Amino acid sequence: MQNNLPATQLVWNLGIRILHWTLAVSMIAAFATHESGSVWHEYIGYVALAAASIRIVLGFTANGYWRFSQFFRGISTTVQYAKDVVHKREKRYLGHNPLGGWMVVLLLADTMAAGLTGWLFTTDAFWGMEWLEELHEFFGTLIMPLLILHLAGVIFTSIRHRENLAAAMVHGRKKL
Amino acid sequence: MKKISAFLAASAVYFAASSAFATGLATCDSGPKSTWQPVEKLEAKLKEKGYTVRRIKEDGGCYEVYAFDEKGQRGEFYFHPVTLEAVPTKSR
Repeated sequence: MQNNLPATQLVWNLGIRILHWTLAVSMIAAFATHESGSVWHEYIGYVALAAASIRIVLGFTANGYWRFSQFFRGISTTVQYAKDVVHKREKRYLGHNPLGGWMVVLLLADTMAAGLTGWLFTTDAFWGMEWLEELHEFFGTLIMPLLILHLAGVIFTSIRHRENLAAAMVHGRKKL
Repeated sequence: MKKISAFLAASAVYFAASSAFATGLATCDSGPKSTWQPVEKLEAKLKEKGYTVRRIKEDGGCYEVYAFDEKGQRGEFYFHPVTLEAVPTKSR
């Protein structure tokens, strides 16, 4: 059968997509409910913590675009990539580019930090501890600037390479 | 570079603004602080009832207490700072 659509490849499999959107929705919902001190905030936090934990385990054990070693690059490669971006000569990556890789790690780390401090605060041992509450608030507050950076990166790269990266995280496919 | 500085500045303002934090489980119409009873008195009263007090702070014009009650049950309790009466909280 003839088709004139550009060739595409499945980059984000169903598992990555489900975890991505679970994390996105749960972290935004957790942020939205943080003032109320509600049980919902607690439950939503556990969802985010579980999703981030699964993602991290798979980052070390699964293959392909799941794997941290597939996309996580050191400082010098990442700085070089950023310089290439500034000079409009960066190469296109099918998976995460080096800056995107750092974004993934920062978002996951902050989710884990916010989730773990939040959970600890509800244990008898740490109940009412002021430093822990402040630490939890710091990590919880940090998620918004990180989210804005993430969206800025997605929009910028989408425009630069003329592809809709947000849509790719929905259907999973990218142009070759 | 300008965009990065602007982003960092906006983040700093946002962090400063979000530090005022209230769990807001209750509010007390408690008037000027000069009429409030000291925290120590509330703490002593709770200890007498068999509570283990972890921390007392102000929230919504009330004293907010992180403690374990006489049965060892963990809880967040609110008290009116003038009367030291327990204030019912919204259910979580």
